[in-house]
Amino acid sequence: LEICNLSGYKIYPSHGRTFVSRDSKTYRFLSSKTESLFHQKKNARDLAWTPIFRKLQRKGVSEEVVKKRTRRAVKYNRAVVGASWDAINARRTEKPEIRAAARAEAVSKAKEQRKDEAAKRKATRPSAPQGDKLNKHQARSAPAKVSRSGR
Amino acid sequence: MIQLKSRLNVIDNSGALVAECIKVLRNARWAEVGDEIVVAVKRARPISDKTSASLSAAKIRKGDVRRAVIVRTKKEIRRPDGRYVRFDDNACVLLNNQQQPLGSRILGLVAAELRFKNWVKIVSLAPRVV
Repeated sequence: LEICNLSGYKIYPSHGRTFVSRDSKTYRFLSSKTESLFHQKKNARDLAWTPIFRKLQRKGVSEEVVKKRTRRAVKYNRAVVGASWDAINARRTEKPEIRAAARAEAVSKAKEQRKDEAAKRKATRPSAPQGDKLNKHQARSAPAKVSRSGR
Repeated sequence: MIQLKSRLNVIDNSGALVAECIKVLRNARWAEVGDEIVVAVKRARPISDKTSASLSAAKIRKGDVRRAVIVRTKKEIRRPDGRYVRFDDNACVLLNNQQQPLGSRILGLVAAELRFKNWVKIVSLAPRVV
């Protein structure tokens, strides 16, 4: 199955003509139209109906092109400034039970710590009066509280 | 479609350049590729003493009347597969009276019809057959 030298169309058997030029080059033409244009020395790239022109001007190609242009984001395994890659990976792949156990441990630890601190505070502080805590100015200006039971 | 008064290029090395058909050796008006015609040589290469030694016996001069076979035509030829072929010019090869080519070489291509019309020697001499 041959191709027309000018237009680029397919030439089926018993169609078209063969022309042999003075310099022994063989040209195949689909029709008298293409043959005539060839002898007028027309360039296929300037003839709007030829596939060559359409390919150059990218006519009728837009549907294919749109589909192919989807880009994919590539995932990388990266370490961050605060944590190395191993640390990140370890955290990620921790089992939930381990995580829960670790959390419970941390919670109990924190509670213990708070208890100790509270106890320490109680020990070091002198026993505070049950009444109001006044500062110096208030202590001077305000009258002392008189208990009612004295009368 | 070569007829009386048609001019053809001579593409062998016999010395002739342009030949004019003066008789179609067929009972028809026109001659096609592979037909024999009688030609008168209209233009020939100048013959000097040097060239005469290297050429074969025949020296072709302007005005000689010889036989020739047509090898290329501008009119398209139909091939059995429905294809049409046409060349850019009309060309012939000079023959002697025994239908042997006068020249020893052929320059340019010839049509493949010659093979079917039994011009085997010319086909074998031709550098290219289309």
